[in-house]
Amino acid sequence: MPADAKHLAARRELAQGISAVERPGPAANQRIQAALAVSVAEARNALVVGLTGAPGAGKSSLAAALADVARAAGRRVAILAIDPSSHESGGALLGDRVRIDEHPDDDGRFTRSIATRGSGRSLAHVAAAATILVEAAGFDLIFVETVGAGQAEIGIARLADVLLVVEGPEGGDEVQAMKAGILEVADIVVVNKSDRPGAQGAFDRLRSGLALGAGAPELALVSATAGAGIGELLATIDEKGASRGARGRTRRVEAHLVAAAESHVDAQVREATASGALATRAEQIVAGTQSLTGSLAALFGITESPDA
Amino acid sequence: MAERTTPIRVLIAKPGLDGHDRGAKVLARGLRDEGFEVIYTGLRRTVDAIVAAAIEEDVDVVGCSILSGAHATLLPKLVSSLRASGAGDVLVVAGGIIPEADRPALEQAGIAGIFGPGTTIAEVATFLRANARRR
Ligand code: B12
Ligand SMILES: Nc1nc2c(ncn2[C@@H]2O[C@H](COP(=O)(O)OP(=O)(O)O)[C@@H](O)[C@H]2O)c(=O)[nH]1
Ligand SMILES: [Mg+2]
Repeated sequence: MPADAKHLAARRELAQGISAVERPGPAANQRIQAALAVSVAEARNALVVGLTGAPGAGKSSLAAALADVARAAGRRVAILAIDPSSHESGGALLGDRVRIDEHPDDDGRFTRSIATRGSGRSLAHVAAAATILVEAAGFDLIFVETVGAGQAEIGIARLADVLLVVEGPEGGDEVQAMKAGILEVADIVVVNKSDRPGAQGAFDRLRSGLALGAGAPELALVSATAGAGIGELLATIDEKGASRGARGRTRRVEAHLVAAAESHVDAQVREATASGALATRAEQIVAGTQSLTGSLAALFGITESPDA
Repeated sequence: MAERTTPIRVLIAKPGLDGHDRGAKVLARGLRDEGFEVIYTGLRRTVDAIVAAAIEEDVDVVGCSILSGAHATLLPKLVSSLRASGAGDVLVVAGGIIPEADRPALEQAGIAGIFGPGTTIAEVATFLRANARRR
């Protein structure tokens, strides 16, 4: 019998809890509320750190490197790695663990891969609920990695206490271009792979571009794999997160409420598409036999109040 | 409302020092395209690491790819560790280079299915759908 069998029991309970809340409904909600009650009773105050950015930028490697430094300081650390589900098959290839060392004997670590499943918005619907369960299980620092793509940023910005946007050495120019989107919500922009040529240049380009705005994000230059700048980055994260107070937990509940609402609408849209009701209604509206207002009510239960 | 059922979660693992990862990657992508949620752990994982990953990921299936010849020791150890950790209901399958003569002992030890070179993804997918735990 392996020495860690007892250790694993706690992680198994958490893991099964996350699977349970992946199936939305009253039972999932009860479980989430029970977890919140535990966190309140135990005065937990987890810090949720979001990592977003293009595939290959080094988000998983960076989460692992930050987790190692934090764990060495005695903090209990979890990583939730979110990857998209295939729209065609519904399957997913979740490969983030490749970059994250396993620690089978250490109950102070937990890693979970999460597929977006039906989420049209690429931050998994279950992400907020998972952070709530992970906090209740006693983890102080929770990294949530998500592929940077359009709408996902809005979801992760809502959930995270501190949001990192991770860039590779090629970044900088392209970051400028999407400045309006990501950089508005980023707390820290991290240029990773400082061990590679071009990283310093990307960092400099970013710094000159970002210096302009008030409330501009912090900038960091690190190497996740060589371990350069990781301790400093963790200190910056803690500084940025220090003011969250009890707001962290309410933020997670807000994010879950929004996710549940989005999930509901996504399911309605899937249903209306699959049943053909959406197409039929559209034809009837074009033909003038149905109204838009009546169709919104019939399809999605949306009742619009008359214009003021 | 017609909600899709939960996808089957599969951990694809490469235990021991074996560096052959083509088969594991082919399988990981293929099973994703068949609608499975596949967690790939990368090369050179210990049995304890695979067990911990299987538990944290709450998978229904652990699939080991072994081309190094170490299957006779690693696979039974994996099954017994999973059982000892309360994850005895996880289906364990294996593939790679596993000689016919070694199969009965492995099946005895609790390996539910063994798939050698030339296996199609569809075969594996059908087997997993039929044999993975339901929930
Ligand atoms: C390509 C190859 C390599 C490549 C590997 C590249 C890579 N990144 O994968 C390189 C050149 C690096 C290599 C190196 C070596 N190799 Co080599 N290699 C092969 C070779 C020719 C093909 C393997 C392959 O990729 N097949 C294609 C994939 C798609 O097939 P597959 O892995 O079998 O997977 C299929 C099924 O088995 C099954 N499957 C596989 N895994 C799983 C898992 C699950 C859960 C399921 C359900 C199904 C399943 O589904 C897949 C799809 O059909 C085989 C010979 C052979 N015919 O198999 C030798 C072979 C595996 N190698 C061998 C050896 C000895 C070595 C070396 C030790 C040689 C040396 N002296 O240098 C090194 C060691 C490398 C290491 N670090 O471990 C031996 C192993 C002997 C043994 N087990 O007793 C073999 C069998 C050759 C031989 N006949 O001697 N090798
Ligand atoms: N040279 C170098 N490579 C890195 C660094 N961080 C990550 N990588 C590599 O970049 C690739 C993608 O890393 P990964 O963490 O999976 O990126 P993700 O897709 O953003 O999660 C992998 O090959 C990593 O080894 C780094 O600091 N320096
Ligand atoms: Mg990643």
